[in-house]
Amino acid sequence: MDPVWWEYIPYILQGAIWTFTLVGGGLALGFAIGVPVAMGQKYGPTWLKAVLDVYVWFFRGTPLVVLLFLFYWGIFPVLLGIKLDALTTSVIVLGLRSGAYQSQIFRGALNSVDEGQMLAARALGMSKWQAITNIILPQALRIAIPGWTNEYAIILKDSAICFTLGVVEILTRTRYVVISTGEALGPFLFAGVLYIIFTYGGTKVFNIIYEKYHIPGLVGKGM
Amino acid sequence: MGEDEVVLRVENIHKKYKDQEVLKGVTFEVRRGETKVIAGPSGAGKSTLLRCINLLTKPDKGRVWLEGVELTNPKTNINKMRQKIGFVFQEFNLFHHLTALENVMIGLTKVKKLPKDVARKKAEEALLTVHITEDLWNKYPAQLSGGQKQRVAIARALAMDPVIILYDEPTSALDPQLVGEVLRVMEELARKGVTGLVVTHEIGFALEVADEILFMYGGKILERGPPREVVFNPKHEVTKKFFENIKRLYGGR
Repeated sequence: MDPVWWEYIPYILQGAIWTFTLVGGGLALGFAIGVPVAMGQKYGPTWLKAVLDVYVWFFRGTPLVVLLFLFYWGIFPVLLGIKLDALTTSVIVLGLRSGAYQSQIFRGALNSVDEGQMLAARALGMSKWQAITNIILPQALRIAIPGWTNEYAIILKDSAICFTLGVVEILTRTRYVVISTGEALGPFLFAGVLYIIFTYGGTKVFNIIYEKYHIPGLVGKGM
Repeated sequence: MGEDEVVLRVENIHKKYKDQEVLKGVTFEVRRGETKVIAGPSGAGKSTLLRCINLLTKPDKGRVWLEGVELTNPKTNINKMRQKIGFVFQEFNLFHHLTALENVMIGLTKVKKLPKDVARKKAEEALLTVHITEDLWNKYPAQLSGGQKQRVAIARALAMDPVIILYDEPTSALDPQLVGEVLRVMEELARKGVTGLVVTHEIGFALEVADEILFMYGGKILERGPPREVVFNPKHEVTKKFFENIKRLYGGR
């Protein structure tokens, strides 16, 4: 007799480690890329803005699965001559793509800080860089938290697509269970519920962070 | 550093926005301890003039000196010089993410690089000078009234030990009942000898503490002199009309 699918629940759950490696890595890399890109797009010289626009345009305009294939079989091995494993490739691709989206979140947040803040900072004798790091960014980052929470939910769900490269995250493991037990409804439903829990649980955590760092009167516009 | 020493010299400032000539050659001086009031109808170039002094706006032509250092010289480190020029905005522009105390401290710690405890002490002193009491120090700008915000903004400028404070219509964005508390602080500072250049319509303030009124019209100083003379006995018809209107509006304080 075939084993029943729920006996594999711990096996599926272990996939959460991979899923959160993808999500954490992607979000962190996306943050590290998104903030400087947003600053470059707002404060940089024209040529830099043009370069950054192309980056954002490319990663926002291409399906994630195409990016994964392109980097895994194309850009890394062929163009750059390096062999990266599926997990590393996935984190990098998720990060590059999230960076493009996050840059727009942060750009919106930077734009919603009123001009008077920069004027007042410069009038005190701060350089442009000091004004950005001491005055503009601390406000923009707080304003960006709600938009950023949304990005977490998106990247969490998008991480499932990394099953195409064989990263043993939740969906990949669920599929193995389906294949080996012959049952589809239960495992896929379980995986779906798992994503829902992680989506709303994570969103809750970010909302708590938002409340903790929230400052009276500082609200994002147009987010 | 005598009392009569010229601390600010503005020479032949011109500024054009597209086709509109906002400033058409403005020249004046401010001596240490003086308070000068710039008055004039809107569009006369008052705010632009103020911003041309600390180069928040770059003048097209003309020169500005602070304590003998030419600010308009491209070789001058403008960030360093701006530390010595307090600027008080019509819209306060307090830093939203910082408390009242932190707003006053940040220039001291980040720009003047003072140690935190020294900066804190200085900031507290400045806040007390503008009558912002301890219960308000940890409030964020959004939790303060307009008058309190503007007084914190004045403290922020004052704490830097500026050579001069430039006020850009500091009471225009305030509810009428809050104007008094800000003017009182400005008058106290003027009496203490804090050098000030004030763009304002408050003739009461000008009559009380100003050493001179510069009346601007059409991008130029049309008329200047002791407050009483310019307000009550002006030479030009425009000046007369302007102050008559103001007196009617403000009930001739």
